[in-house]
Amino acid sequence: MILLCGIPSESPLALVGEALDSISAPYLWFNQRQFARSDMAFDIDERGITGWLEIDGQGVPLESVTGVYSRLMDHAKLPELRGEAADSPARKHCDALHDTLMRWTEISPARVVNRVAPMGSNSSKPYQAQLICQHGFEVPASLITTDPREVLAFRDQYGKIIYKSISGVRSIVQAFDDADLGRLASLRWCPTQFQQYVAGTDVRVHVVDDEVYATRIESEAVDYRYAKRQVGESAKLTAMELDDDVAERCVALTRGLGLVFSGIDLKFAPDGRVYCFEVNPCPGFSYFELNSGQPIALAVARHLAMAD
Amino acid sequence: MWLVLCETHDAAAAWAHASLRAHGLAPLELLSAEQLALSEFQEHRLEGARTTLRFRTEGGLQVDGQRLRGVVNRLWTVPTGHWRQASAADQGYVQQELFAFFLSWLHALPCPVLNRPTPQGLCGQWRQESEWAWLARQAGLPVAPYRQTSRDTVDESRGERRLVPAGALVQTAIVVGGRVVGAAVPPAIAAGCVRLSELARTALLGVDLVEGAGEGWRFAGASPTPDLRLGGEPLVDALMHELRHFERAAA
Repeated sequence: MILLCGIPSESPLALVGEALDSISAPYLWFNQRQFARSDMAFDIDERGITGWLEIDGQGVPLESVTGVYSRLMDHAKLPELRGEAADSPARKHCDALHDTLMRWTEISPARVVNRVAPMGSNSSKPYQAQLICQHGFEVPASLITTDPREVLAFRDQYGKIIYKSISGVRSIVQAFDDADLGRLASLRWCPTQFQQYVAGTDVRVHVVDDEVYATRIESEAVDYRYAKRQVGESAKLTAMELDDDVAERCVALTRGLGLVFSGIDLKFAPDGRVYCFEVNPCPGFSYFELNSGQPIALAVARHLAMAD
Repeated sequence: MWLVLCETHDAAAAWAHASLRAHGLAPLELLSAEQLALSEFQEHRLEGARTTLRFRTEGGLQVDGQRLRGVVNRLWTVPTGHWRQASAADQGYVQQELFAFFLSWLHALPCPVLNRPTPQGLCGQWRQESEWAWLARQAGLPVAPYRQTSRDTVDESRGERRLVPAGALVQTAIVVGGRVVGAAVPPAIAAGCVRLSELARTALLGVDLVEGAGEGWRFAGASPTPDLRLGGEPLVDALMHELRHFERAAA
């Protein structure tokens, strides 16, 4: 049995559900919005990890769950909890149910795509960049500083530079230009990340276990995800083949971060170097699948359905 | 220079700082999370595989990450008190940014760091009680059955724990680089504590244990920030060994 966790209408989850249907793999929805009709328990003892999950009055032993695809949203923001006090029975049950589910998925012997702890590297871009570097990819030179003079020297050294968040929050890449000079004095309040601008072709690589799907992205925007906002035109996505060496490094990087499924942002520079900007541990792959036709959801479904 | 990094009111860190100094570890500085966050200059660079860190505190202390010789790291949170006038959303953003910044530069330090940072904790990975119970079993430690349900009344935010019987006396063994100090435990339990430290990839680990009548020792929890004072002189010796190991290896 495969467990799909989240809100079924969310695109990536829906696509994986359809893919599981297409290969006739049995699955069960853990629909967050129906938390009031769900219960769960697990035990850790000499038998290992056992337990049960009950949804709409139907119980499933956790030992029968062999695969989990989790895209849980912040349950505190569920519409069903709107207006509920912090200590209301409904909110307490929702908290306890999600806590029980998340703790079980962290230690369950099932194939979990992805566990929470390994996803953490994405919470610090420079930290993740250090791990990426160990897998043979170039990473752009980065400066995090509270000193405006260092920023100006960094721009002199690299020419064009960008700035972006250090964490995964408010993560929009912006070009740094003269209009930003007046704001540099604010740096002393919070260290800020600047990065060498790297020209070239953006490529998003989705890795599912050892399957690799690369998508070329054509856009004039600094951050193609916001192409419509930044340059008034959406990015064009096309499937492409990677060299074996790059593909193998993508698989090794994903495994090295403790992930099964990743979305890797690469840039192929004109001088032949391959830069890696980021590894997304919970990729919203539907945007790429629906625009490039690549069967990413099917790869996830096949991985989940494969018994260890 | 060696550093002890900690929260402002961390008495165990202050004790470790004083004890290490008394053992001749010098120069050794005690720096709080607030001092770090309010440093008048902070710079961290990544250029290929080369990383650097420089900061200067308001008190004028200059730190160069490449020249540090060892760090006792008990940083837990990143203070954002200097942003208290900002909106809650901006304060939350700054907290995430500073955590991400601290995680990166702590990870980049080439010297021994006890403990190395992880995305789940600046001074070592914070884990749920269930995960510790599972790891402790794999480490060979005796563990009481753990049960959790979505109808539980256990409130961990109030310190209630599933593995500790009400009223039980908890004792703490502390693993430092493979040595066990603190609570006097049988060799098999000490070996289990060391295995747990390895499985958890946490070089400095406090392992809580309870001794029940007729049941022997049982695992009750673990933390990357134990009260170091419980380890006494043997703990200071073990810390000295770990902090100087890097220099011996390089010599």
